[in-house]
Amino acid sequence: MITLNNKTVLVTGASSGIGRACAVLCDQLGAQVIITGRNEAELKTTASQLKNKHQIIVADLTNENQLSELVKNCNNLDGLINCAGIVKPLPVKFIKSKHISEMFEANFNSTVLLCSELSSAKKFNNHASVIFLSSISSLHPYIGGALYSASKAALEAFCRSFAIEHASKKIRANVIAPSLVKTKIFDETELATSEEEMKNYEAQYPLGFGEPIDIANCAAFLLSDASKWITGTTIKMDGGLLLSSKK
Amino acid sequence: MSINEFIQKLEAEFEDMPQGTLKAETDYRSIKGWSSMHALIIIAFIDINFNITLSGADLKSTQTVQDLYNLVQQKKSA
Repeated sequence: MITLNNKTVLVTGASSGIGRACAVLCDQLGAQVIITGRNEAELKTTASQLKNKHQIIVADLTNENQLSELVKNCNNLDGLINCAGIVKPLPVKFIKSKHISEMFEANFNSTVLLCSELSSAKKFNNHASVIFLSSISSLHPYIGGALYSASKAALEAFCRSFAIEHASKKIRANVIAPSLVKTKIFDETELATSEEEMKNYEAQYPLGFGEPIDIANCAAFLLSDASKWITGTTIKMDGGLLLSSKK
Repeated sequence: MSINEFIQKLEAEFEDMPQGTLKAETDYRSIKGWSSMHALIIIAFIDINFNITLSGADLKSTQTVQDLYNLVQQKKSA
């Protein structure tokens, strides 16, 4: 059975969706959770579902001062789940420099800087596990997803380097790459397209769309000692989407 | 930007669209071959030209090209 007893886990982007589900599950499995995000009210909603001792740190990770404060204020970690990020579809011909900066600052730079500062401040305990949330779109593109997919591909490459640099302390780093999961982002996509279009899309998923808890379950395994021999890898979670020949 | 200019510029972004297809009263979702790519183009077009970020809900509240134009004007003055 997976247990996270006596582990301290930092979850970024814990104010909603996958981040919130990860925080709640880690708490249920015995971890002490530190939740961070930009929206204090939403973080408090997440915190209301936590039973163990926990810490709430409101921070915008794209702000370097706030990121440094977060690192300073958090205890030593046995786990880090990097869920913070944004999705903003933009067809290639509309891309301007500001869009690249916005996407990479939120999805790549802030995560890289957080890992770097935590590492430099020796906040990772030996045997810690670090998880990066990517997307199957890093390899399997969708229309309008050029910048998002590129930022996630960059994160995956970063994870592999992080993994080899920290292996001597048995610190592990892995990526979870889901396809479409039902979160607020999903609802937003449905509004921008149509319910019908989303239903047609779901028909391509042999197991249907994912739920935040599906990702949290995988994250819990990667945080636990049950995965102590797994590092530098990407776990694809797609409900069978990429197996399917149905179009 | 006038409504006519808005229509002309938006139409130019839909590369596969014959000139004159879009009119103020056009229900844009009923255009032949309409797809989510068109929705993305509308959102991006308004972002680039007016520095306004439309949400999915914003887009859903509109039906015609005139509605889109009105929404932009409304957001600009907000």
